[in-house]
Amino acid sequence: MSVFKRNYRPFTGTPTSRAGRFLVLMRYGFSDLWSSRITNVLSLLCLLPTLLAMAAIYIANNNAVRLLISNATGSGGPPIISINETYFYAILQGQCWLALVLTAWIGPRLIGIDLANNALPTILSHPISRVEYVLAKLALLASFLSVVTWVPLLLLFGLQSYLSATPWAFAHLHIAYGSFIGCMIWILLLSLIALAVSSWVRWRIVATGMIFAAVFVPAGTGNVFNAVMRTTWGRLIDIPWMIITLWQRLLRVELPRYFSRNEVPTLPIILALTAICVLCASALNARLRAREVVRG
Amino acid sequence: MAVVELDQLEVRLGGRVILDALTGALQGRAVGLLGPNGSGKSTLINTLLGFHAPSRGTARVFGADIRYQSREIRGQIGYMPENDSFIGNMSGVHFVRYMAELAGIPSRHALERAHEAMFYVGLGEVRYRQISTYSLGMKQLVKLAQALVHGPRFLILDEPTNGLDPVARQRMIKLICDVRDSGHTHLLISSHLLRDIDETCDEVLILKSGRIAAICNLEEERRANRRFVELETVAAGDSFGVAIRALGCECASFPGGRWKLVMPESAEIRDLYKIAASQNVQIRRMNYRRDSLEDIFLTAMDSKLGAARVGV
Repeated sequence: MSVFKRNYRPFTGTPTSRAGRFLVLMRYGFSDLWSSRITNVLSLLCLLPTLLAMAAIYIANNNAVRLLISNATGSGGPPIISINETYFYAILQGQCWLALVLTAWIGPRLIGIDLANNALPTILSHPISRVEYVLAKLALLASFLSVVTWVPLLLLFGLQSYLSATPWAFAHLHIAYGSFIGCMIWILLLSLIALAVSSWVRWRIVATGMIFAAVFVPAGTGNVFNAVMRTTWGRLIDIPWMIITLWQRLLRVELPRYFSRNEVPTLPIILALTAICVLCASALNARLRAREVVRG
Repeated sequence: MAVVELDQLEVRLGGRVILDALTGALQGRAVGLLGPNGSGKSTLINTLLGFHAPSRGTARVFGADIRYQSREIRGQIGYMPENDSFIGNMSGVHFVRYMAELAGIPSRHALERAHEAMFYVGLGEVRYRQISTYSLGMKQLVKLAQALVHGPRFLILDEPTNGLDPVARQRMIKLICDVRDSGHTHLLISSHLLRDIDETCDEVLILKSGRIAAICNLEEERRANRRFVELETVAAGDSFGVAIRALGCECASFPGGRWKLVMPESAEIRDLYKIAASQNVQIRRMNYRRDSLEDIFLTAMDSKLGAARVGV
């Protein structure tokens, strides 16, 4: 019978599982994100540095190409690029800051789209909890950002391990897990900031600006605090400084003394980043309600 | 089993008692939820949906406790909120499909059911348009479609006829009656419009200041009201009274040819006409005592709390 002739009838099939409903939120979120051309272009742009890095790894490990280059340039010295911690650190930094740009574009839509016309009561009236709703959005953003952060980094690590003439992978495993952990911390932080901003600010342009501001404004404030109080603890609200320091320590990058970041231990940095995450989670908790609570 | 059982249900919001020790059972196929503004209708609905946690007592929907089985309850409920509640840049059918999948319908069935639901509520022709371009009446209908799409056992409609013109309202009422008569779904309808409740519901829960002012089975009320009849007649003598009493009616005559009767279950109105015809009596007017929903509502509003009328 044609659909337009059918009458009201109950569903008699087997309903999907709890995990299935969680994935529904993610799937519809992805579908919405990919419907934007700007998202597509941005995602591709974010992967371009990885392609260049791949080419560099190939060149660094290919004797014939290296010979050709040194003949062409007339240099017979050491290899132009050394594939080591510093190299991966540079790529990690580049990819992670690109992830911030991507987050600033896609983040505001994630929850804002459901709040714009008050869809939350309808969504949450289904067998899905607020926590699951937030986790689904978080997982959506995290998986999106993973594609431009730790996934390409681990691919590069794998490529270097494969191409290297000498045993390389086991001696440099800290690069792999350092990149993965460093990216995951950054992704979690960015995702929570983006979701919190998305839930409070409905205007997309403002929300995009707010995400950048949430990352960079406390950095300025922290530096002012350091200058006034003649201390270094103001770094604990400086998100870029904290995350870069963590990346350096995770990848065991040795930088010149001028760039040394040993003034604040790792534990306070982790605690400060956790506090920021908790703050964002509280902001989400306060905002994401199926109904407004009437006080009086 | 009662659809909804309220067991000393108390809900506090912002330190204020919004629902105060509600106790009762709702068993009707379609239950109307009435009460003045701020009486706690929406809070009761939100509590049944698990949006507010009870501060004391509990409620059960189909026997499932709202404190511990909120997810199971929501799996059986279709909810049509009072205010706008949709994703504006989605097409109607896409939105309804999304809600169907969230309710647990597998993706392959959800699309088909979304199309069905959109046709069923009368939005078939506009199902591919973005919801933000819909008129107010269409938005109400798409809310109904998303509430119905998964074939819930319990449908909660919060002010379903809000902002609708008379034609759209009539259409909405017809749809609600259709769903009710399907026999599969129980309904809880919150409305300010007594007429809507009167047309669609067989039971009514009246709230006042967060407490139950009345729970009343409208079907029984209507049946009972049919037994009280007032007649205005011409040329009715004592024989008319005798014949009516012979039917088993209790009756009293008044000057001006007026009669008041209480009819037994066995007697029908047509019997009165037969007697009148056989005795050449003209029945100029016939009134049922009309203890309408409005009367019930007003009585409930006047009654002291705690002395609530519970007619189930």
